[in-house]
Amino acid sequence: MEKKTIESMVGVLDARMNRQLKQYMDICARCAICKDACHQYVATGDMKYLPARRAELLRQIYRKYFTKAGQFMPALYEAREPDENLIDELYESTYACTGCRRCTYFCPFSIDTGWITAVSKGVLIAAGRGNEMLGQLADAALFKADNMDMFDSIIVDGFKDVERELREETGRDVAIPVDVAGADILYVALAGSHSIKPAAVIFDAAGASWTLSKFEAANYGFFFGDPAKAKLIADRFMNEAKRLGVKEVVITECGHAYRVAEMFYEAWAKEKMPFKVRHILEVIDDYIKDGRITVDPKAITQRVTYHDPCQIGRNGGIYEQPRDIVTAIAPDFVDMTPNRETQWCCGGGGGIVAMEEFNTVRLASGGKKVEQIRATGATILACPCENCRLQIEELDKVHDLGLRIVPVMELVAEALVPKK
Amino acid sequence: MSDMNIDLELDLKGLLCPMPMVKVSQNITNVPVGGIIRAVATDAGSMADIPAWAKSTGNEVLQAEKIDGQFVFLVKRVK
Ligand code: SF4
Ligand code: SF4
Repeated sequence: MEKKTIESMVGVLDARMNRQLKQYMDICARCAICKDACHQYVATGDMKYLPARRAELLRQIYRKYFTKAGQFMPALYEAREPDENLIDELYESTYACTGCRRCTYFCPFSIDTGWITAVSKGVLIAAGRGNEMLGQLADAALFKADNMDMFDSIIVDGFKDVERELREETGRDVAIPVDVAGADILYVALAGSHSIKPAAVIFDAAGASWTLSKFEAANYGFFFGDPAKAKLIADRFMNEAKRLGVKEVVITECGHAYRVAEMFYEAWAKEKMPFKVRHILEVIDDYIKDGRITVDPKAITQRVTYHDPCQIGRNGGIYEQPRDIVTAIAPDFVDMTPNRETQWCCGGGGGIVAMEEFNTVRLASGGKKVEQIRATGATILACPCENCRLQIEELDKVHDLGLRIVPVMELVAEALVPKK
Repeated sequence: MSDMNIDLELDLKGLLCPMPMVKVSQNITNVPVGGIIRAVATDAGSMADIPAWAKSTGNEVLQAEKIDGQFVFLVKRVK
């Protein structure tokens, strides 16, 4: 491997090194408790999916360049100069990791494998081994945002189509406001109309002052592992929110997008935003509890269960609002076991659904989720994350679960009682 | 356009964005350089997504049209 490439990989590790990362690099006890926590390792028994092993690959580089012992006695201290073999293994174990952080929950030292793999992605990008598909998707999003004059009318026409479809489906005029200065809420959806329609119906019923972002919430720069690109993608709607002077940015039912906006963006931007950021389900929960919308408590008659997306639950801290919403409209709600902090990752996070090369491990790693869903006997799965829905839809086909997999807000839109 | 040689047909109907763009991207190397994918999607978001992906990856969209409520794309692999 060329000296220059190694230098830039080590440079990335150095730039990302802080007290916490250094601690993760230094303290693994090799107790292997994490082996039973990772859905990928449980499903495959393959060492490269063992959480501690994913971290160990980065540790080998760390020891070589950041510790005296590793520098002078590499063999003794398991320090290693990166070579193609190490990079191949690092690539496989890093981009396959869904960042679900279930291993972190069980690790006695709370070693954050999600964080470690995020740093490993930076190292891989420096080695020219970033995942090509995720890189392309990030670049496409940036291109679209940078060339709004080319896409503006297409996007706005698309919103008009959504209005037309809503008129046909609901028999009512539900407006999709765009570019409304002074609105209370900037709602950031996905490119697909499925993430716009139920929110529009609910905002309309609540009499909310809102405007729809022309930019999408999804952030492939984040999955790719390039914080600079991820920031640029999120800049678009954050700047739009500033320009319009909204009071809050509300992110659609998409796990990583919520986390980017709520947990990472201000640190990346080194700036406090003049608005708050919330997940759409936090907003809807308030609407129901404050009586701004009325829902039929018996609207959904089938048994419903709820999947905690890792980025919203374990990594985002939102557990109760979605459950409160679902139980407000579906009397037959059965939670999965385990749930909340210890729920099993469905296997579809971290951008893995877009990377075909990981299809085998991805589908195998959904086994735990399939068992959990089956045990509930539910026919409807409410799930507030796009990547999880894509994964569970595939699991549903492969395992013949007979599920209807829906965003929570879609169930709410169905349960709305029209105002008299 | 109708006499054009299509190397791969992609049925992306029912897929929600960004999956139509992801599928085109995953399949572009399944056609030779100069080859053409015809993709049919139903999610309106694909009208911006697929041309943006093509521009940013140096491929070419020969057609992006709404026909009978479906979005039809002809994408040429350039490199
Ligand atoms: S549980 Fe934590 S300390 Fe134990 S092997 Fe795994 S990462 Fe290391
Ligand atoms: S973050 Fe999730 S996928 Fe990654 S190693 Fe830990 S348990 Fe496995």
